[in-house]
Amino acid sequence: MATIAVGRQRPVAERASRGIWRDAARRLMRNGPALVGMFFIAVFLFMAILAPLLTTFDPVRGVLANQFEAPLTNGHWFGTDLEGRDEFARIVFGARLSLVVGVGSVIMGLFLGGTIGAAAGALGGRVDSVLMRIVDVLLAIPGILLAIGIVAWLGRGLPQIMLAVAATNAPVFARILRGSLLANREVDYVIAARSTGASRWRLLVRHLLPNSVTAVIVAATLALATAIIDVAGLGFLGFGPPDPRTAEWGTMLTDTTQYFREAPFLIFFPGLAIVITAIGFNLLGDGLRESLDPRLKR
Amino acid sequence: MALLQVEDLVVRFRTRDGTIHAVNGVTFELEEGERLGLVGESGCGKSVTNLAIIRLLPKPAGRLEAGRIVFDSIDLATLSEADIREIRGRDIAMIFQDPMTSLNPVLTIEEQLVETIQAHRKVTRVAARARAIELLQMVGIPSPESRLKDFPHQFSGGMRQRVMIAIALALEPKLLIADEPTTALDVTIQAQVLDLLRNLTTEGRTALVLITHDLGVVAGMTQRINVMYAGFIVESATTADVFEHPSHPYTVGLLHSIPKINAAPGEELLPIEGRPPDMRRAPTGCPFAPRCAWRLDICWTDNPSLVPLVTGTPLVMTGPNATHQIACHNPPTQAEAEAGRPLRDGFKAASPPEGYQDELSGSRVGVDGAGELPVSEGVDAEPYASAAGLPIEPYDDHGNGPRG
Amino acid sequence: MAKYIVRRLLATIPVLFGLSIVLFVFVHLLPGDPATALLGQHATPELVAKIREQLGLDKPLWEQYLQYLGQLLHGDFGKSILDNRPILEEFFTRFPGTIELTIGALIFAVGLGIPLGRFGARHVQGWGDGLVTVISLLGISIPIFVLGLTLQFFLAVTLHWLPATSSLDPRLLNSVPPVTNFLLVDTLLAGRPDAFVDALRHLILPSIALGSIPLAIITRITRASVLDVSNEDYVRTARAKGLKERRVDSRHVMRNAWLPVVTVIGLQVGGLLAGAVITETIFAWDGVGRWAVQAIQGHDYIVVQSVITIFAFIFLIVNLIVDIGYAFLNPRIRYG
Repeated sequence: MATIAVGRQRPVAERASRGIWRDAARRLMRNGPALVGMFFIAVFLFMAILAPLLTTFDPVRGVLANQFEAPLTNGHWFGTDLEGRDEFARIVFGARLSLVVGVGSVIMGLFLGGTIGAAAGALGGRVDSVLMRIVDVLLAIPGILLAIGIVAWLGRGLPQIMLAVAATNAPVFARILRGSLLANREVDYVIAARSTGASRWRLLVRHLLPNSVTAVIVAATLALATAIIDVAGLGFLGFGPPDPRTAEWGTMLTDTTQYFREAPFLIFFPGLAIVITAIGFNLLGDGLRESLDPRLKR
Repeated sequence: MALLQVEDLVVRFRTRDGTIHAVNGVTFELEEGERLGLVGESGCGKSVTNLAIIRLLPKPAGRLEAGRIVFDSIDLATLSEADIREIRGRDIAMIFQDPMTSLNPVLTIEEQLVETIQAHRKVTRVAARARAIELLQMVGIPSPESRLKDFPHQFSGGMRQRVMIAIALALEPKLLIADEPTTALDVTIQAQVLDLLRNLTTEGRTALVLITHDLGVVAGMTQRINVMYAGFIVESATTADVFEHPSHPYTVGLLHSIPKINAAPGEELLPIEGRPPDMRRAPTGCPFAPRCAWRLDICWTDNPSLVPLVTGTPLVMTGPNATHQIACHNPPTQAEAEAGRPLRDGFKAASPPEGYQDELSGSRVGVDGAGELPVSEGVDAEPYASAAGLPIEPYDDHGNGPRG
Repeated sequence: MAKYIVRRLLATIPVLFGLSIVLFVFVHLLPGDPATALLGQHATPELVAKIREQLGLDKPLWEQYLQYLGQLLHGDFGKSILDNRPILEEFFTRFPGTIELTIGALIFAVGLGIPLGRFGARHVQGWGDGLVTVISLLGISIPIFVLGLTLQFFLAVTLHWLPATSSLDPRLLNSVPPVTNFLLVDTLLAGRPDAFVDALRHLILPSIALGSIPLAIITRITRASVLDVSNEDYVRTARAKGLKERRVDSRHVMRNAWLPVVTVIGLQVGGLLAGAVITETIFAWDGVGRWAVQAIQGHDYIVVQSVITIFAFIFLIVNLIVDIGYAFLNPRIRYG
């Protein structure tokens, strides 16, 4: 007796959310450039996290007698700098600092900007106008000057640097949260939820915020690339970590320009490190954007 | 000699997800001045067939893989790009569904009309402009001279479509292809635009191919109809024949899903259940089988060819005596067509063979019903199952009743 | 249309106000007493008090703000702490240098970016497109200071093709009197075509460094815009009419594609001003950016405040022009 089982039904939203992440992950794995980016990031994370295990040399103190050793001599894979410090050690410890400050500044920026944006989008009206004016003011100040200004104001130090860079990437998150909340407020299922008496808070957390997640993830990844560059930029201009001996890529770059005649090869390493890490996060960010795009269902 | 002869046309799209078999061997002809309707649901290949005729398939994905397209004794499929460009607009014109997006938003109507004229005729701008005004008048745009300088967004939907028609007929082409010309318009405007289309093509002796999913639209407009499904023509006949003697289960289904103004009270609307087939698989067997209430075992494995309904009749491809052709192993009888379902005693639609891969979900529909057919929200399975004479399994323990 | 302009203007004003307040607060909450900084070694309590009185630092904060605002609206930005010269004057002496650099960078970014973007769109998914995407990626991933240093190192110091720093060969400086402070103009006015060429040569490397990010962005947006427009229905209509491909490209594709590109170019100006700061520092280029950094390092915060205020003002004005320009160019808004 032939029968056809006419299927089971799972609630639409649940089915959709499980599908998106798995779909996205699958698409990401097939994206060539994104894989390259992830490889670069993996190298970066590897260096940053395992720094002490990767080298026996002290990144902060060196033996003066060993200054300007060429690469690959005496166990100094990248050579040594003016003070005889091992360049490779300084690069990996610099990665550590970049990672910490970079991630810290993005998280800070996300919270600062995201809160402002979410408040603007959720509350609308006057609150929205005022908050967005504040964001506009921040945006009107050229990024680097804003960052330098904050560091100059609050003093040099890692938390201050984090805040300075966070101030420059916060507006992006503010825009995303606000835009996403505004756009989704009038969507059918939100109105439906509201009609069943859901409170504003519940609405926000369970329905509206999750829609911003994909945009935030993409923005955060790309912001990380910019953050790492900005941190180095601050260091380059002389506003980096207070202790001049700290291994930080930007400061290392400035230092090396001063004695590039004696040791021209030293310029490459910090610069290359910054570029490769930035490329990595940019590629991953682009890849995430493509794979999380809800319009492409397959 | 027919104006247009399409023979065994095959069009495929190469995409990242696989090859889409959009058109799978379509053959039809068209006389000068004749009006043909191409009917089918989205994705059945009706638009693609016509884009292929003027070689406007989206590149690089779309490929004309096989077939001949003979227009006015020239094989369009083998023409060079420069030559086909001359034919486009001048001999064969096409109008599209959405007039808002089909007109360039930053150019005035005048510019868009004049450039068409000047692309094919050596005339001065002044002469072209005069002709443009003439054309606008012809399509019924009031105060055409003052409207020349307007932009597309300054016209209403119906007016825009009239402008498109004006552009299409500017050079008095021999063939006009209208792809869903009224789908994006209000119902009241639809009738006006269709009237205009019919009058102009009759006057100018322009052949017309009218593409639509709406049988109501072709009823008053065309002399013959080709019904398409999954890239095949499944029924081809004069318009009168299609409405009075529909002989393919799909056509029967289409006719029964239109609400009729003189229907008896209590008469059911019978939707055609299921979803259109996944065009990424090369068809094996009749593509309509999964949704067909008349299917036999052979339907699952053998794709029927388009042949005359009454076997043995000589094949007349065009004109009022065109042969009624269908592609079906088990055509409905007259009475069944009127009822909308099989009326034979004890007839049950053949179940799929062992291990048949359901195109829709890739899951296996076993003989014991052990598989899963994904059900789209809102599909009511009852009439389908009962039309096919099958009992329904109750939904499982997720607590969803038969109505979702 | 006119309503739109007025609305945008009105929206800009509160931002400017907010900005002035923020900057004012910033300067006055800084550590380090400007009076002491000014006097340096000569600081005695009496002198410090005198300077403070001169600078009006002893009045209550809100009074100081109003005074500041009033001066601002009269164009009086005060005097530099370090060298006591009027800031606005100093600004206009150095600003042309920054403008020249910015224009050089824009010419590089637009001149190379738009053709590259079109090329990428035309050869989409081919190797040409891949190359264009890589260039775009490198543009945003290589920081200005890394690129600048690399260019200096390779092209200037090693190969000696182009000068490494500064805007003009120091030996030529005396023969070019500053009239407009635009080097390229002044050299011609002084009748020194050789100095003109020299100034141009000095402009190349910094323009490339500064323009690298706008290049990447303009390339991307051009490519995306051309691709988007190429898939629009009206392009298909244009082809269906039998128009020649070149005509389809210029009248239908590009006419619609360059609108977002122009908008993006306008929006790059803010980034260029920021980038100028670093670029001028690396290349020892005489401009406002370098001046600002030196001011920060020298604790001359009044200069910093003024520079930021003016930059922000320029940024907002440029945004305003871009918005209005877009409304003007888009017939849908213009003929609403």
